[in-house]
Amino acid sequence: MSYRENLHRELTDVGITGRLRARILEEIDDHLQCAPDADLGDPQLIARRFADELGTTRARRAALTAFAALALAGLLFAVAFLSSPQPVFAGSPAGVRWTFRLAGAVGAIAPQVAFVAGVLAVLRALRRRTTTIVAAAEARVILRRATVGVTMGVASMVSLVALALELHPYLAGWWVTLTLVCAGVGGLALLATVPALLAARRLPSRAEGPAGDMFDDIGAWLPQGLEGRPWRLALIVAAGIFVLMSAAGWMASDGYDGMLRGLADGLLCLLGFATLGRYLGLWSPVGR
Amino acid sequence: MRSEALKGHLDVLILAVVADRPRHGYAIIEDLKQRSGGSLDLPEGTVYPALHRLEAAGFLSSAWGTETGRRRRVYELTRRGRRELGVRRSEWRAFSRAVEAVLGSRMTQVPSVLATPDGGPRRA
Repeated sequence: MSYRENLHRELTDVGITGRLRARILEEIDDHLQCAPDADLGDPQLIARRFADELGTTRARRAALTAFAALALAGLLFAVAFLSSPQPVFAGSPAGVRWTFRLAGAVGAIAPQVAFVAGVLAVLRALRRRTTTIVAAAEARVILRRATVGVTMGVASMVSLVALALELHPYLAGWWVTLTLVCAGVGGLALLATVPALLAARRLPSRAEGPAGDMFDDIGAWLPQGLEGRPWRLALIVAAGIFVLMSAAGWMASDGYDGMLRGLADGLLCLLGFATLGRYLGLWSPVGR
Repeated sequence: MRSEALKGHLDVLILAVVADRPRHGYAIIEDLKQRSGGSLDLPEGTVYPALHRLEAAGFLSSAWGTETGRRRRVYELTRRGRRELGVRRSEWRAFSRAVEAVLGSRMTQVPSVLATPDGGPRRA
């Protein structure tokens, strides 16, 4: 079997196919025509290097693209939310269907998950911005965070559309139009990240190494006592949410409601940490 | 210089080679070998993943061109790549000055662990 055929097989094995594989093989062909006795290296090693290096770049790019789209979608969500003539999630007018309540619940939870996942994805991508090859497990974590962020972002936009349509008879027409435009633009921005996410998924790094955890992302900003104690950190964050929302409730002369909302949000934070924490690489081990 | 040390700086070496003029993969590798006086002794195939990565990062751009009747992928430095090369050059010069300052200096100051109370060298 010729060097070219070997490389073709190895490239296919690591997930490099189509135009990229054809281009690599053509470049190698050209090299071998210039220097038939060239030491190009073991085809398996070359194919692995392509997968590891391009997989790292693609995972990083997916995270940055997802974060940019999430930032835009978040801004548009805030515009729609804040410009509402009356609180969108505060209560349901008489006669609204169950879809309003479902959309309200998704619209309250999904943006928070999207924000956390998107920020964690971009933090890890930036921390590894000069790394040539990240471990497969770490690249997987970056990609999972970006994917969850974008998925939750799309869910937020869909909930916004559902809310606008449900509130159509009760709220000003301009707000409904504005909200639909915001949700449409935000949704399109998020969907535009799908090719980057798929490209990273198709060509994963294969390098060995740990995935790391959230202390690799934010450890530098945390007190030393929290190092390696993810649940303690999660409890502190949940308590912080409870205190902040209670205080906001008191300031809005609705302390009891604020406390209830704070309690619910704090518990949701812990629930999210329990269900998604391992998948998103908030604590080790991940992706084994 | 050891080959391993050069490999750690492969990206900036590639950018520097391509900065002169656009080149195809084989020419880049040949230039790397020549300019390093043969010290960059690595499997030539490993330069191609680096070229693709640098292109994906936006530091290089590439296009098919025809040279001596053959279709070849020609790499060119982008504006971003030129900026990156400038930054890396400055970093390298600062680093190399610092190392040179330490390695190149004679023992004008005797380290405290070797010094006698009057500042002179301690005798064995």
